Amino acid sequence: MELITEGIKKAFILIFTGDREIFEIMLLTIRVSGISVIISMILGIPAGLIAGLNNFKGKKFVISIINTGMGLPPVAAGLFVSLILWRSGPLGFLNIIYTPAAMIIAQILIASPIIAGVTLAAVQQINPKLKYQAMSLGANRWQVLWILIREAKLPTLAAIMAGFGGVISEVGAVMMVGGNIKGQTRVLTTATVQMVRMGNFDIAIALVIILLFLTFAVNLVLTLIQQKENITWAQRFWR
Amino acid sequence: MGSKILEIIKLVKKYESGFVLKIDYMHAEENKILVLIGPNGSGKSTLIRLINLLEKPDSGNIIFDGKQISGSDIDKVSIRKKISAVFQEPLLFRTSVYNNILLGLSIRRQKLSDFKDSFDFLIKKLKLQKLLNRNPRSLSGGEQQRVALARALILNPKLLLLDEPLANIDQISREELRADLFDILKNMGRSTIYVTHDRNEAMILADDIAVINEGRIEQYGSKNEVFRKPENEFVAKFVGAENLLEGKIIESSNNVCKVKIKKKKDEHLDNNLIISAISNYLPETRVMIAIRPEDIALYNIEMQNIEIRNELITDKNTFHGIITDIQDSGIFKKIEIDCGFKIISYDTPNSIERLGLFIGKKIIAGVKADSIHLFKK
Repeated sequence: MELITEGIKKAFILIFTGDREIFEIMLLTIRVSGISVIISMILGIPAGLIAGLNNFKGKKFVISIINTGMGLPPVAAGLFVSLILWRSGPLGFLNIIYTPAAMIIAQILIASPIIAGVTLAAVQQINPKLKYQAMSLGANRWQVLWILIREAKLPTLAAIMAGFGGVISEVGAVMMVGGNIKGQTRVLTTATVQMVRMGNFDIAIALVIILLFLTFAVNLVLTLIQQKENITWAQRFWR
Repeated sequence: MGSKILEIIKLVKKYESGFVLKIDYMHAEENKILVLIGPNGSGKSTLIRLINLLEKPDSGNIIFDGKQISGSDIDKVSIRKKISAVFQEPLLFRTSVYNNILLGLSIRRQKLSDFKDSFDFLIKKLKLQKLLNRNPRSLSGGEQQRVALARALILNPKLLLLDEPLANIDQISREELRADLFDILKNMGRSTIYVTHDRNEAMILADDIAVINEGRIEQYGSKNEVFRKPENEFVAKFVGAENLLEGKIIESSNNVCKVKIKKKKDEHLDNNLIISAISNYLPETRVMIAIRPEDIALYNIEMQNIEIRNELITDKNTFHGIITDIQDSGIFKKIEIDCGFKIISYDTPNSIERLGLFIGKKIIAGVKADSIHLFKK
């Protein structure tokens, strides 16, 4: 019991005294997961929209691929990225294995199918005639896309939350491609694993508290955006 | 004749279901309301989507505002910006009523300040003043459609497409909105194509009418032409000329001809089977005789009123018959009469009582020659 209470006490001390190492791990985590989610949004949301809103040959196949991607085991993503970026691998010349860049690539592989899949499910709930209504009002391709994203706003934000949740909590893939190098590729999850292994429970608890707080903060912001109804978005176009 | 805002030439669109839309020719005139009328599934909405460039025709030309728009090298978005459409569903977006009304303007990058007067006019006419901040989901079907109409009308389109905009609305709101819409359209002088399956609506709104059935235009013409002079059986039935009789011209002179009506069954009444109509078909032509039920007047055979007798002798075709059925049909009652052939008339309950009509009663049915329309069988 003492292990836990002492651990929590020390954890708070570490957090509030601004322990340099913990602070750096936190910043790297935010950077890697943040960039991953943003790139995954850029890839996943349009992919979900396009697959969901258009009828084309092989649509069912594409949807199956996306759905499979949603359940992709992170270690599989990690292995795949490792193989590609390994010194003798096809992209080995880039020399980015065991760097944050490699971690970002692995996380994109995990998050973008999640974001695409949830977006896809969301836009399929939209009345397909709304697309024609938008076109009929004179919207070009991008305006139609934008209008429909707004229409699927609630579930699309849920997609981003799911994607973020997927990457920030991920440990297997980032461990594999990042190598958990202290001061370079050590993030909250891999550091926690390391600290528990070493018996440094106080630091592990501090790391997990920060991880939970980050997850909560990001989801809180997204929820607030999601629940804010009636944003006056037509007025945006007026000066 | 005004100038043509839209022409459709040899347009063909085939669907996997086997349905084929094939319009040889049709046009809409500037600042007039063309009503496209036909039963469900006749291809009306398909035609609207083709005009709105939401679907691609297999072949044929659509000429809008003097320019061919059906080719593949056309900037569809810029054409759509000159047209606006309202569909059967209001199709409002998840934002306030105000933003929904302005959505088309913002898409077209127009300034609200340039449309202030028209905005004020429309929200007043469409009774939307108090609803601007509401979420469309909290509005009734009729109110939602008012928003959709405002959104389309404020764009000041060169051509307005209205695809059964009143079809999903309850009757009271529908009549109110129809009156408001009619008022706006007449006021603003818009070139409009209005789709409906309701002939009353066509009667109220149309300048011109195109009757469409199974993907083809059955008849195109002014409202009066189509309603008074249907060209075939389908159009006659569809525009409400419920009495359709077969006959053969036996005599023709000075635009008046006598037609012998084909008997339906063995005649049990001593009846006149010759009808006079205004037409110049030649003798021996086989024709269909179309009579609108409201043009048939019924007379009580026992009435001794001299004026009525004179009226009957002078300018009416008269038939002796027996009432075989009287049914409720909305505010009117539908009366079926056997004159050797079946005819239908409508009358108010009051008038039926005054004339002393009942099933089995012998009566005289009269129709003026100029209320009878003939077309070739």
